[in-house]
Amino acid sequence: MSEIQPPVQGPVSATRATERARGLARYAADLILPGTVLVGVARSPHAHARVISIDTKPALEIPGVLAVLTPADFDGIELGHPDTDEPVLTRVARYVGEAVVAVAASDQDSLLRGIEALHIDYQVLPHACSVADALTLDQPLHAAYPDNVVRRFNAKRGDWQAAEQRVSTWVSGTFQTQAVPHAYLEPRATLVRVNGELLELVTGSHFPSVLAETYREIVAGWGAQLEVVTPDIGGSFGAKWEHPTHLICLAFAHRLGCDVAMVLPRRDDMIAGRTRLAMRIQMRIGATDDGELVAKETVLWADNGAYSAHGPAVTLAAAIRMDNLYRFSALNAKAQLVYTNNIPSECFRGFGSPQSAFAQEQLIDELAERLGIDPIELRRRNAVRAGDTTLHGWQVGSCGFTECLDAIQQRVQAHQHENPPSINSRYRFGYGVAAGTHGISNRGYDRRFDRALLSLVLAPDGMLCIESGEVEIGCGTVDLFGAIVAERLKLDRERIRVVLGDTATVPYGLGCFASRTAFFGGRAALDASRQFARACSHLAIEIGLPAKASIATVIDTAVAVGRTTELRATGRYEPKHVTLPDESGYGNTSPAYTFGAHACCVRIDIVTGLTNVVHYWAAHDTGRVLNLQRARGQVVGGVHQGLGFALAETTLVDNHGRLQNPGYLDDRVATFADAVPVECIFTSTFEQEGPNGAKSIAEPPIIPVAACVANAIHNATGTRQRRLPMTPERIWRSLHTEG
Amino acid sequence: MKTQLTLRVNGAPRDVPLSFVGRRLLDTLRLELGLMGVKEGCGEGDCGACTVLIDGEPMCSCLLLTGVVEKCEITTIEGLPAAFLTRFSAICAEYGAVQCGYCTPGIAVMAAWLHAGGTELGDQPISKLFAGNLCRCTGYQQIIEALTALR
Ligand code: FES
Ligand code: FES
Repeated sequence: MSEIQPPVQGPVSATRATERARGLARYAADLILPGTVLVGVARSPHAHARVISIDTKPALEIPGVLAVLTPADFDGIELGHPDTDEPVLTRVARYVGEAVVAVAASDQDSLLRGIEALHIDYQVLPHACSVADALTLDQPLHAAYPDNVVRRFNAKRGDWQAAEQRVSTWVSGTFQTQAVPHAYLEPRATLVRVNGELLELVTGSHFPSVLAETYREIVAGWGAQLEVVTPDIGGSFGAKWEHPTHLICLAFAHRLGCDVAMVLPRRDDMIAGRTRLAMRIQMRIGATDDGELVAKETVLWADNGAYSAHGPAVTLAAAIRMDNLYRFSALNAKAQLVYTNNIPSECFRGFGSPQSAFAQEQLIDELAERLGIDPIELRRRNAVRAGDTTLHGWQVGSCGFTECLDAIQQRVQAHQHENPPSINSRYRFGYGVAAGTHGISNRGYDRRFDRALLSLVLAPDGMLCIESGEVEIGCGTVDLFGAIVAERLKLDRERIRVVLGDTATVPYGLGCFASRTAFFGGRAALDASRQFARACSHLAIEIGLPAKASIATVIDTAVAVGRTTELRATGRYEPKHVTLPDESGYGNTSPAYTFGAHACCVRIDIVTGLTNVVHYWAAHDTGRVLNLQRARGQVVGGVHQGLGFALAETTLVDNHGRLQNPGYLDDRVATFADAVPVECIFTSTFEQEGPNGAKSIAEPPIIPVAACVANAIHNATGTRQRRLPMTPERIWRSLHTEG
Repeated sequence: MKTQLTLRVNGAPRDVPLSFVGRRLLDTLRLELGLMGVKEGCGEGDCGACTVLIDGEPMCSCLLLTGVVEKCEITTIEGLPAAFLTRFSAICAEYGAVQCGYCTPGIAVMAAWLHAGGTELGDQPISKLFAGNLCRCTGYQQIIEALTALR
């Protein structure tokens, strides 16, 4: 355990990281040239209102204002992936901050004056900023959904009646999780370059190939073509997909025939950004006296906000995924996704599991207490194992879950030994444990296929280009692909150029989501390297080199004799044993699954209610670790995002649906001063299906965090936290009512 | 009449149109002088991505009007000593201190300031000194390790 096999790449070859640290990375806003036309929008001040009239004339009279777009310019176009229900510019505002009219101007001052000069009349409609209100609102947000329920899911597995009879102890609770913004550091930025009839969309997104596919259809109607260029991306965490700003910029660029750009100020990025789905989760779990987890029932309501995008998929995942951690005999999950007049929700690292883990892992803790079994032991007894097929159809290949549990148990015991409980009138100390699981990609994401392609192309200058539609959003993909190919082909990393997400050249890719990029892209890189090596040995023979000549020699000779075009290969990876899930989410949706167990020690100030996380342990089964520093980075970063979700971050909305904290000052993401020591432990699992034995690590570390902290708070104070974030005020109140 | 404003940026005089007097230094550096290593994360002084040195002191360029720093020596990441940047970037890569990298230039400028030793704060804990620099990706641990190694 926690023995790590040698990483594939040493930090020395981390070339993209070095460039970034020198300030050489170029994000979308950095690529805007002087003289580019600037775009902005007028936003609805109302949470729910019909646009009655728009007068654009006063704006157009302002010198410097070049053009205006209104909802009529985008009739019939609805955005969102995979669910489409979001207009580009809207005739009915469904949240405060929704874009209604767009303005293009030659400079910032004219732009602001132009937006100011627009006359927009609204008929205000009744609004609902909570699920409960939306369910009773007699005003549907979208005509097709009269009760505001977007989607209902039901997943029943096993023999519920038989299971129920075996249960001796039930625990139950209702849990409430909040919406939080992704709060990536680079605000959303879009640049469109015009090249004749070709529109080049420069923007950071999770899936450039899919963006291009979607937008091409639309711009074809204008007689234009489109390619997507992917610059460096300053974080996303599940936020940057399709977005109205893209089409607004594309439309202006096409109409004006010149480059246009739109960079959202932080405030706008939060007001009109995306958030994690807030959820209300009613859950009960039943066990036998000797600690066998038998049955679990979940009833869940999720707040979709104004538009859907990945909302339905996240809701289904939240309803069932965490079930796969334990060998339950029967499961019964119901979920409803509800439209509200909140900021549109979107997937966010963990894809619904941090929400359901907050409920499940607290209940497991309660069960342990009720049954008098150690909480780690209870989890171990019921842990899913390699070779299991879970009730939801997951075929578990490698599984290091119990190893994770063993590892944290050891660490916690050692810590307790070194820090015997002290009696203190002001501070209470406590330990907590929680676990999580995640799939790698999801066969249900795109009904057509789940695969990755990666090409190796020898450029005339002798550089070997890696080209893929899978992108990097800060996880180290560029350096990882570079390292895999360099290692396989025994080439200097300096001879390799990595081009990700430029749709004019790269093969189609589904993109970077569901912790799939290193796994899928990595496999495709291995396949491409194999094929490229074969192409090299063929060419070697033809040009009179020894068949065993090194790849570097073949490349050099090919450049010298002008035969570079013959050296190219496209690798692919498409898992065989995955299945398309049914309506209820049943299926072996991923080629491999990851597991993790966390523990923490907290200190609660009972005078102020403040929680301090003193120490944090995160054990993960991520298969073979490909790059230790990168893997640690994902774990520590994920844990800190989780701590923000657990303790501080939230979206505060007033009675009129207006966001009260659109900025870093009032949406408290963790700062340097909040950094918590995180000890990362990786199991020795080797995943047969993975690239060099690896699985994935981007999302898993955020999943158990809130539950882990909640369990520690309970251990310290005896109070149960059912609501996120667990702010000092909430803790203080619970101490004074329950404690 | 004066039509240009002369700034001292990264050791050289740079002329910018007088109209930039009342604009944020951040915009002048990025839009007029093309110094794209200076990033905007919030525009409100909360994130530190836009940090530059003004007469050797770190400041948020999103909170400064250009006219105010006319007589000052302005240093952006592009103007940091090459030897420092080489070392800083190598250490960052070694310790895994960079993920998306959007926060890194601001941190580089802060680190250069500390490195130059022009402050008595040098022995304060890194978590305090850098509390004005937000990073949404890393959870800070590896940046702290890298900065410690840099010391
Ligand atoms: S952009 Fe200046 S502090 Fe954030
Ligand atoms: S590395 Fe992304 S914000 Fe720091």
